[in-house]
Amino acid sequence: MGSFVLSKIFPSDLNKIPPFIENIAKKVLSLTGSDNDAFKVKLVLEEAMTNAMRHGNLLNPKLKVFVKISVGKKKIMLQIRDQGKGFNFHKVPDPTNKKRAQQPCGRGIFLMRKFMDEVTFSGKGNKLRLIKKININPA
Amino acid sequence: MGIDISIVEKETGVYLIALKGEINTQTYQALEDKARPTTVKAKAVVFDMAQVNYISSMGLSAIFRIKLAVEEHSGTIALVNMQPKVQLVFDTMKILSPQIFASMEEADDFLDRFLDGVQTGQISPKNLPGKTK
Repeated sequence: MGSFVLSKIFPSDLNKIPPFIENIAKKVLSLTGSDNDAFKVKLVLEEAMTNAMRHGNLLNPKLKVFVKISVGKKKIMLQIRDQGKGFNFHKVPDPTNKKRAQQPCGRGIFLMRKFMDEVTFSGKGNKLRLIKKININPA
Repeated sequence: MGIDISIVEKETGVYLIALKGEINTQTYQALEDKARPTTVKAKAVVFDMAQVNYISSMGLSAIFRIKLAVEEHSGTIALVNMQPKVQLVFDTMKILSPQIFASMEEADDFLDRFLDGVQTGQISPKNLPGKTK
């Protein structure tokens, strides 16, 4: 198995996330041989899809989340888009700040920024692109 | 993958919660729901994380809320035996590091000093004893 592109549309149902990200993690592990990369891709994909469904679409089952995963020889790109009102992605507080430690929000985006090489929000904040450099094992 | 949750009272008011599986967007609520009857009365809660192979921010928040619930009545929590990838998530978020221990022995030592300190009025959940190692 080599590079691939996968597009999928989800209802705003959190129960749809775990089996999907587990499958993607297995593919990444198979391609890269890196348990660490597979773990990080799985984690940020859960964070991004959860945010899209919960905070973007407000768990409205009529609203969809669009996921596109592109795996090339040197990078994996995750694109997630929701149908919500968006948010000001320039004003996400640092959840590691002691004054913010009791607050539940912002941890997912913080983990994305730590575990990915590029994290880009666009539009009104409802489009997210995540890129991680990888090395695909030669067949 | 789901989560298996086992709760036993090790000694009066000290509970061991052994977890197996993933703490994610699908399982975090089950953890909070099952732990709630314990957290409202516990002096201390020890999470055995040896068989937890994945945690997301929803899982972190669930454990953090359990910590706050236990601290409301001057208790504390400890987490032991974390797998490296799970530990990486906690380390990255810089939360709960004073309460993460490599072994049950270290956690027991911490809890002994915590509970002794609470009894003598020298320690509170916001003023934890330091690690011995």
